[in-house]
Amino acid sequence: MNPISVLVVDDEAEFIDTLGKLLRRRGFEVAVAADGAQAVGRVSAQPFDVALLDVKMPGMDGFQTLAEIKRVSPDTQVVLLTGHLSEADEQDGLESGAFAYLLKPHPVSDLVSVIESAARRRAAG
Amino acid sequence: MPPPEEPIHSRPSPGDEHRDYRATFRTMVGGMVLVSLLPLLVIGGADFLLFSRLNHSVVAEQHANFLRYHRQSIATFLNSITAEVSSVANQYTLEELASGNLERVFEVIQQPAGMLTDVGLIDQDGNHVRYVGPYDLAGKNYRDAEWFPLVVERGVYVSDMFLGKREVPHFVIAVKRVEGDRFWILRVTVNTDYFSKLVDGVRMGSTGESFIVNSQGLYQTKSRFGGRILEASGFPLPPVEGADIEVRELEVDGKRYLSTATWLKQPRWLLVVRQETSDAYSPLRRASLVGVVLFLAGAAGATGLAVVLTRRQVRQLAQADREKESMTRRLLVAGKTAAVGELSAGVAHEINNPLAIIETLQTWIHDLASTAPISEDDRAEILQSTSKIAAQVARCKTITQGLLHFSRRVESKPERLDLQQMLEELVTVARSRARVEDIRIATDLAPVPPVIASANDLQQVFVNLVNNAIDALDGRPGGTVTLRSRLVGGQVHIQVEDDGCGISPENLSRIFLPFFTTKPVGRGTGLGLAICYGLVQKLGGNIHVESEVGRGTSFTVQIPAAAPDSAVARAS
Repeated sequence: MNPISVLVVDDEAEFIDTLGKLLRRRGFEVAVAADGAQAVGRVSAQPFDVALLDVKMPGMDGFQTLAEIKRVSPDTQVVLLTGHLSEADEQDGLESGAFAYLLKPHPVSDLVSVIESAARRRAAG
Repeated sequence: MPPPEEPIHSRPSPGDEHRDYRATFRTMVGGMVLVSLLPLLVIGGADFLLFSRLNHSVVAEQHANFLRYHRQSIATFLNSITAEVSSVANQYTLEELASGNLERVFEVIQQPAGMLTDVGLIDQDGNHVRYVGPYDLAGKNYRDAEWFPLVVERGVYVSDMFLGKREVPHFVIAVKRVEGDRFWILRVTVNTDYFSKLVDGVRMGSTGESFIVNSQGLYQTKSRFGGRILEASGFPLPPVEGADIEVRELEVDGKRYLSTATWLKQPRWLLVVRQETSDAYSPLRRASLVGVVLFLAGAAGATGLAVVLTRRQVRQLAQADREKESMTRRLLVAGKTAAVGELSAGVAHEINNPLAIIETLQTWIHDLASTAPISEDDRAEILQSTSKIAAQVARCKTITQGLLHFSRRVESKPERLDLQQMLEELVTVARSRARVEDIRIATDLAPVPPVIASANDLQQVFVNLVNNAIDALDGRPGGTVTLRSRLVGGQVHIQVEDDGCGISPENLSRIFLPFFTTKPVGRGTGLGLAICYGLVQKLGGNIHVESEVGRGTSFTVQIPAAAPDSAVARAS
């Protein structure tokens, strides 16, 4: 069975770096992107199973990136991960096809199980 | 000697918007009384004029009628005596009367008794042949009397008043009787008192009187108020051929009289009826008095009503003002809460990001440390991670400390405020929010003198303006918010400028209204600028806004600079 492929998108370099290492160690195939445009580029090249998306980013924000990813790769499951708690954002995100809306900081173990559920959803089609 | 100290409370504090209810009360009562009394005055005045004119003509007509009636009765009296005397003269001969019938005749003519004083029989030589009466006049000769030739000439004669041989004022009625080739005269004297009573017996009001003057203006009857018979009356005689009845208002001895006069035909006497005008027009005066009393009562009623209604209205006004004030206070609190909410969402985001990094680093350390034995590489990485954690903790600390500085002034009173410091703190906090949205906060802060204000209030104003500026840049990464401070003619100007979407002219006029917002539902309360406006007004300042759609918006807060020696009032 192929490892689950995960794309981590965030403008905090430290965050994607460390989270990338953590996820790789847990058996995921991980790529990172520092902004929305980069993320969309990567998804076009490779239809990731799951994308972890920050919402507030310079340039394309999380929602725009979500829409682009869904357009390029409809099967990729997107998990929004943000420091900004907003019920309106959460609702918008879920309605736009996000798999989950998580608030930073989120325990890595939980994050792993969310990624795994998302991957199962993707596999189920 | 030191100048007298001015009590603090006499100085109106800026933004004290209490209206002067007493002045409002006075103005409203004045207006209401004027509005209610003016028509009353106009209508009442016109009514009075019309009524008074009507009254004058009615009274004059009354007098004229009275005079006409009176003239008729006097003429009838004189005519009936003349007729009686003529009839007797025609029934009897001189001899018959001279030989004793005159006494009987006197009794017959004397109807009623006392009407005549005496009767006399005079032959053509003027000898008093026979006399019946109280005076000793028998045997006197009248050929030289003034009336004698006139009777001879006219046949019938009514004299004016004269003294005659008896030296008592009287007048006579004489008739000439021709008997064959000779003539004689029958003469009666009218009782002066009787005639006077006849003339002045019927009176009008309390000051009315009637009297007669002859063609020389001499009294022929007593005037009720002092004029004696044969005295000059001084009454201005109307022309004989003039109006039948002459109505005049005359002033005599300082009193005004309504006087009517008419000439009698035979003799040429002027019958005068007069009455003091105050008496004659007393119904008018009474009516006017009633009118004035009614008007005063109406005025008092209207004033009372105006006072009662106005007091109620002013009370309601004061109540409404109080409610408005309390509403404004609640709005302020609500706005503050909203501003704090908006701010804290940004701050939470700023803290959550480093926390997320710390969280991942902690997990990473845990991962590395859980494997045994720990390699040198892992050791190095653990140490590196801890220093990364320290960096993120420092980042959080910067934010929370800025926030602490910022919120320390939640309950502050007016004080001398250094805006420089406040704006710098504001910029620090604003940058945490702005950085997330890729917005630059630029500053151009010139040194400005302090102002007297509540730090809390001013902070709220600037937070609102900066929040708005950042919101205006929504969706335009790379935008800039610029804070400027300047001293312009004794006023400190703080400008918050953005190069965002701008405000359309139709919205520009409404932005300071409460609950006006262009932000999506749930984002803006519409209170921010309304509160800013209120707070700045309270400081005696002003907010000025300039905007161009697509180019950006600039808000300028203008606050009076504190006087160098001004102390803050400690009394609250």
